[in-house]
Amino acid sequence: MTDEKILELKGISKSFFGAQVLHEIDIEVRRGEILGLVGENGAGKSTLMNILGGVLTPDSGTMDLKGAPYLPANPKDADKAGIAFIHQELSLFSNLTVAENMFIDALPTGAMWSVKFSKIRTEAAKYIAKFGVHTTPDAKVESLSMGIRQTIEITKALIKNAEIIIFDEPTTSLSQIEKNNLFNIIAQLKNQGVTIIYISHILEDVFFLCDRIAVLRDGYMVGVNRKEELNKSQVIKMMVGREINQVYPTIQKEIGEVIYRACDIMQGRAVKNISFELRVGEIVGLFGLMGAGRTELVRCLFGVDPFDSGEIEFRGKHYRKINPEICINSGIAFITEDRRQEGLLMPKSVKENIVLAKLNDLGQSIGMVSSIREDSEADTVIKELNIKVQNKNRQAVNSLSGGNQQKVVIAKWLLKNPSLFIMDEPTRGVDVGAKYEIYTIINNMAKKGSTVLFISSEMEELMGVCDRIMVMSKGRIVADIPKSDYSQEKIISYAIGGGD
Amino acid sequence: MQSTTILRNFSAKRVLPLLRYGVYIIFGLLVIFFGFMNDHFLTVNNALLLLQQAAPIGISVIGMTFVLIIAGIDISVAQNMYLSAVLVATAMYSMKTAGYLGTPLSYVIIYGIAILVGATIGALNGVLVAKFKIVPFLATLAVQGIARGVALIVSQSRVLFVPELSPISNGRWLGFPIVAIVLIMLIIIFDYILRRTTFGRQIMAIGNDSAAAQKIGINVDRNVFFSYLICGILAGLAGVLAAGQGGAIAVYFRFGDEFLVISSAVLGGISLFGGKGSVFPGALIGIILVGTIVNGMTMMNASPYAYTIVRGAIIFLAVMIDSINFRGELR
Repeated sequence: MTDEKILELKGISKSFFGAQVLHEIDIEVRRGEILGLVGENGAGKSTLMNILGGVLTPDSGTMDLKGAPYLPANPKDADKAGIAFIHQELSLFSNLTVAENMFIDALPTGAMWSVKFSKIRTEAAKYIAKFGVHTTPDAKVESLSMGIRQTIEITKALIKNAEIIIFDEPTTSLSQIEKNNLFNIIAQLKNQGVTIIYISHILEDVFFLCDRIAVLRDGYMVGVNRKEELNKSQVIKMMVGREINQVYPTIQKEIGEVIYRACDIMQGRAVKNISFELRVGEIVGLFGLMGAGRTELVRCLFGVDPFDSGEIEFRGKHYRKINPEICINSGIAFITEDRRQEGLLMPKSVKENIVLAKLNDLGQSIGMVSSIREDSEADTVIKELNIKVQNKNRQAVNSLSGGNQQKVVIAKWLLKNPSLFIMDEPTRGVDVGAKYEIYTIINNMAKKGSTVLFISSEMEELMGVCDRIMVMSKGRIVADIPKSDYSQEKIISYAIGGGD
Repeated sequence: MQSTTILRNFSAKRVLPLLRYGVYIIFGLLVIFFGFMNDHFLTVNNALLLLQQAAPIGISVIGMTFVLIIAGIDISVAQNMYLSAVLVATAMYSMKTAGYLGTPLSYVIIYGIAILVGATIGALNGVLVAKFKIVPFLATLAVQGIARGVALIVSQSRVLFVPELSPISNGRWLGFPIVAIVLIMLIIIFDYILRRTTFGRQIMAIGNDSAAAQKIGINVDRNVFFSYLICGILAGLAGVLAAGQGGAIAVYFRFGDEFLVISSAVLGGISLFGGKGSVFPGALIGIILVGTIVNGMTMMNASPYAYTIVRGAIIFLAVMIDSINFRGELR
């Protein structure tokens, strides 16, 4: 590592819809170093990297690459400038061979436009030998493990003479052995003078690999230090050390009997031995960083994806197999993380969306839907949740603000009087005022005797709203923290390391 | 979201291998059945006849292979054939009046027109899909309507007679059908294009993951356009060859055969989901499977209405096998 700057970012700012996600970021990357980039979900890591990769343009600030101004307009520019990304989702074609994948965008051709397969095969063999991967140039990618696929992706970057390679959570889908291989490759790359930016939640890995560590929090660069100057708990403090300034509504309520019990739920590699209980009137938070298995667990709990083993007990009934229909009928509501995709029919009217989940119950003798009952039910709930809509029959849901859209989703489920709400990121993309209203709605639901499982990556809101917080890490629930024990450092250190 | 989960569970179970070979089992049974019903079915002569009859459709199947590989579909091929045949016949009528029909140049013009018509239809499909991003099914549906309309206007809904095309479409060279030789040559050429050229490899990549292909700098639009162009050209050629076999072009010439072409390709292992399949042996297997069934039914003097039923059954079978076999990465 030298002190030569290969890349320098100065005063990079970026806002989305008025919310500033990056505040004047300054950072320099030195040739041949491994720079770790850490921060909570939503700290701005992805935005910063998307700016670097030409996916987004910054609102202000400058970037210099090797001393010259660098202004990527699209990902191709970044490519040409020698900046490569290794994402979790690889851009490999499973129906082609390893060699074909490495050269597919610029295949060398000979007589009669024929691809010089022998040439790409020898080239590919060289890289395979160099990284010691167990595969052959002619192997189809679909037959390979994730680790090998990732190596091929790295090779593709090297073929294009990438000088900076950015790894974004590269170890999520890798086994331990594959992970070690990857680290060896990264070390090799460093020896060759390739500069690496390594983004990860796994602090051990970051400390193991990186020369310097940069910490982002809420869009601010909190600090860039040599790793020798830091320890894990300092980094954690830097990641979360913010003031809690959001106000949370409080309410008097009673917590009753256990109503829901999950026993040893397992699914694939993402969800391992999950067991927990929920009580009547309780608001339970579920926290975990990206890749902790939160989303997978929630999809299991609502039967969207089947779980491999385990059992669910709800209101005294035992279930080994569930699907969304069973869940809805037994009184579970699921408010999804992505209301555009799964929760709402965007071009349809507010009313249609609200009564959607209840259509079966509004039916009359021959399956016709009573529009009078539809109307009255929708009106009640619009009033109850204070949804700001001019004309519920005409106005399409996509004309509402994010907060009101979310309220429509909640309204839709509220009509079914569920006893358990599973809410996955219900306040994502919602402004501060609407957030407060949603917290109030959640409180009121709990007071009326519903149970709420509140999944969020905003630790602060969980601390503000929930009676206790379960922390997930690497597919397991590693901690169950009661309200009296809340502390940001405690929660994040469980989430990062599984607690130690 | 529920039904897909159920489907996925179902497909992952043991019915899978049985169904994959099921098509060959059914095929075997059919061959035995046809063989019992007609003594001439299992003869060399009939095999040659089968190839001859299947060749025009087969040529169109080769083109369809390219479109299916990029996860598209072209339902305009049958009307493409009709339009190509009608325009060729019209040109032949005027050449006959001018008195030079039958000269070598006239044949160059005849087949040149067919290829040109096919290329026009193919290019139109390609532009609609690649440039204007219209769903392939609807884009080609619109184009097939246009093609049929133009053909009906030009032919004034009359039956056109083209006996002069018979020497090539029904002719033999050293006892081997000329159209079958054309089919085999085209299979060799297009198999080479798909397997050995940059274009062929890149359309496989596009069919596998078009977004990723775009991201790494493959010119997706251009490749998609050329796939439709190839499909159109081969359908136009198939049209004139088929016209020569019957000698007459009626209003319902090749009507509905687009689904026969698609299901031949799919039965040959070319997936409707894209990124999977080959010209050889893939498309050829499909051509022979469907050709055998059509031939066997003709020999049994089956009613033309039964032919429609069988065509429906073939489509159903092909698509069902394809969706059950589909185990690609979820997208």
